Amino acid sequence: MSLAAEAFVSQIAAAEPWPEKATLYQPLKEDQILLSDSASSLAVQTFLRMCGLPVQVSCCANAEYMSPSGKVPFIHVGNQVVSELGPIVQFIKAKGHSLSDGLDDVQRAEMKAYMELVNNMLLTAELYIQWCDDYTATEISRPRYSSPYSWPLNHILAYQKQWEVRRKMNAIGWSGKSLEQVYEDVSQCCQALSQRLGTQPYFFNKQPTELDALVFGHLFTILTTQLTNDELAEKVKSYTNLLSFCHRIDQTYFKEHDRESQVS
Amino acid sequence: MGTVHARSLDPLPMQGPELGVQADDMDLGEPEQEEKQEVLENKDVVVQHVHIDGLGRTKEDILTYEVADVFRAKNLIDVMKKSHEARQKLLRLGIFRHVEVVIDTTEGADALPNGLDVTFEVKELRRMTGSYNTMVGNNEGSMVLGLKLPNVFGRAEKLTFQFSYGTKETSYGLSFFKPQPGHFERNFSINLYKVTGQFPWSSLRETDRGVSTEFSFPIWRTNHTLKWEGVWRELGCLARTASFSVREESGHSLKSSLSHTMVIDTRNSTILPRKGALLKINQELAGYTGGDVSFLKEDFEIQLNKTLFWDSVLSTSLWGGMLLPLGDKPSSIADRFYLGGPTSVRGYSMYSIGPQSEGDYLGGEAFWAGGLHLYTPLPFRPGRGGFGELFRTHFFLNAGNLCNLNYGEGPRAHLSKLAECIRWSYGAGIVLRLGNIARLELNYCIPMGVQSGDRICDGVQFGAGIRFL
Repeated sequence: MSLAAEAFVSQIAAAEPWPEKATLYQPLKEDQILLSDSASSLAVQTFLRMCGLPVQVSCCANAEYMSPSGKVPFIHVGNQVVSELGPIVQFIKAKGHSLSDGLDDVQRAEMKAYMELVNNMLLTAELYIQWCDDYTATEISRPRYSSPYSWPLNHILAYQKQWEVRRKMNAIGWSGKSLEQVYEDVSQCCQALSQRLGTQPYFFNKQPTELDALVFGHLFTILTTQLTNDELAEKVKSYTNLLSFCHRIDQTYFKEHDRESQVS
Repeated sequence: MGTVHARSLDPLPMQGPELGVQADDMDLGEPEQEEKQEVLENKDVVVQHVHIDGLGRTKEDILTYEVADVFRAKNLIDVMKKSHEARQKLLRLGIFRHVEVVIDTTEGADALPNGLDVTFEVKELRRMTGSYNTMVGNNEGSMVLGLKLPNVFGRAEKLTFQFSYGTKETSYGLSFFKPQPGHFERNFSINLYKVTGQFPWSSLRETDRGVSTEFSFPIWRTNHTLKWEGVWRELGCLARTASFSVREESGHSLKSSLSHTMVIDTRNSTILPRKGALLKINQELAGYTGGDVSFLKEDFEIQLNKTLFWDSVLSTSLWGGMLLPLGDKPSSIADRFYLGGPTSVRGYSMYSIGPQSEGDYLGGEAFWAGGLHLYTPLPFRPGRGGFGELFRTHFFLNAGNLCNLNYGEGPRAHLSKLAECIRWSYGAGIVLRLGNIARLELNYCIPMGVQSGDRICDGVQFGAGIRFL
């Protein structure tokens, strides 16, 4: 679609209120989803909860292929299909909900910078550990990724995905890094986040923003996902304020909310 | 018919035949002028030798079967007939460029007075033939490279390779064909292929990579084919505006299926037959030899033709099919049936009948379609005997229905569901026959029984294809 047509369609979409049956699609939770996808999906779910928008989570084996950009998660709202946190934030903003309205320009630029840091460091490190580390790839990533498919398609798809990720790592210059260096990078990223967070409840004032959703998504998933070893989780655990940050958001937006919906 | 040369005989008593096939060079005898006139049908002859000249890589054992009948000829006319049949058989092997028959009297020490030698002069096809075409389609161009190796190992095996490289898609196919020596109709072939297709009526893009093996054999008057096929199918949306039902079908799946086809074809031609009938029944069972998809699919095709007065032909056809998903997964959009268009129910847009979602047609699990046609020569018969013979005027009545069945209910409910909301159309047009392979149609159609959601093409509709309702 041309730019003008896209703008027109998004204007039309913005006029519609948030429907009851908005759905978020991700790969199968038990058997298929990997760390990086789970983190991205949790970030989007947290963001939507923070905005107070209800969404159903639907797990499909082919979620990655259904997505218009090839990445999960994506949401199906009315007639629109939007994937990845960035475009989803824009889409929600067009509908009139925004978490970062209260920020001034400097803070907004800072928020964008930190979101880029998380995407470039944490997400890339997750992908590296999943697909470029042979042991993890063989034990966890390939079996999980290919679990919904039958032989020989499962092997073909798993290796195809592995080659694709390794090519991407090559392109951004991460293929020369060792696993230790990647863990070091994760540690440095967590240190930067920890310093910015300090003793505040959220990254900016007392209100959560999309940065909080993104950081929570990644850190919580790292802490709760079983990999071949615990090194990644240990790196995050060494920053206590990040730990309590995750715990707080989990309590506020997930446990309390679920308890409320159970009671009512 | 091919040239048949024959020399006259001297009338003498006959003896038993000698069987022998030699693949050596032999000189032709000089033609002699005879003043006497003989009545050839009454002359008994014996075919003593049959030679096949010009063989290179072809192995002789497969050829003995084709020419064996010639030895059974009893008189000269019989010899000519059987040699002609043997020539046809040799040509259908697909390994010779041309075959000439020479009938001569036997010469030499063991020659019988009424003995004949039949020589087949053959020219083998080249070891490898290549072809290169460029094709221009809907907003895309492609370059097609074809490579054919006939008679690879000497027993009429054929290896073909086709590669198409286009601006949008790349596809290729490799095929190996081997007939059984002596029974050409019994053959098997192995195919490897990658094919991509774009289906704008469903906003769907499909890439198939597959391997298949098939066995064909005749039983009495029917032809049967057994096939195993394994296909890796990749479905995707053709446009960002594809409906969500089509988007849900995106992804990869593996189909491994066994299928059986039975064909009885007594028509005199595949395109615009004048008489005869066709019955084709096909069933496919997927899922029991591996793969993700599991279903049972049946479809059939019937066509009857009859020549009426004044060179006109009345033709009726009936198609039908049913798809039964086995297991708990619903059927895939790539397996379902589609209906509508210039090659099936005319008057409707291509495959634009039946269940749809936001303008994308999803296909159905059961369908039937019928057609009644009257073909007549062009009025006033312009170009009679030549170009005009390729055209026909054509009056038609088409009907059909496509829907999804609820398999819990009984057959009575299924039949009533297929009988409600019948789409039909009628009209007239002109048909052009292209060789014996394809046909072009230009029709004026009036669609009726249109249901909400169907897309029609009333008025003039153009169609080109191989298989028409």
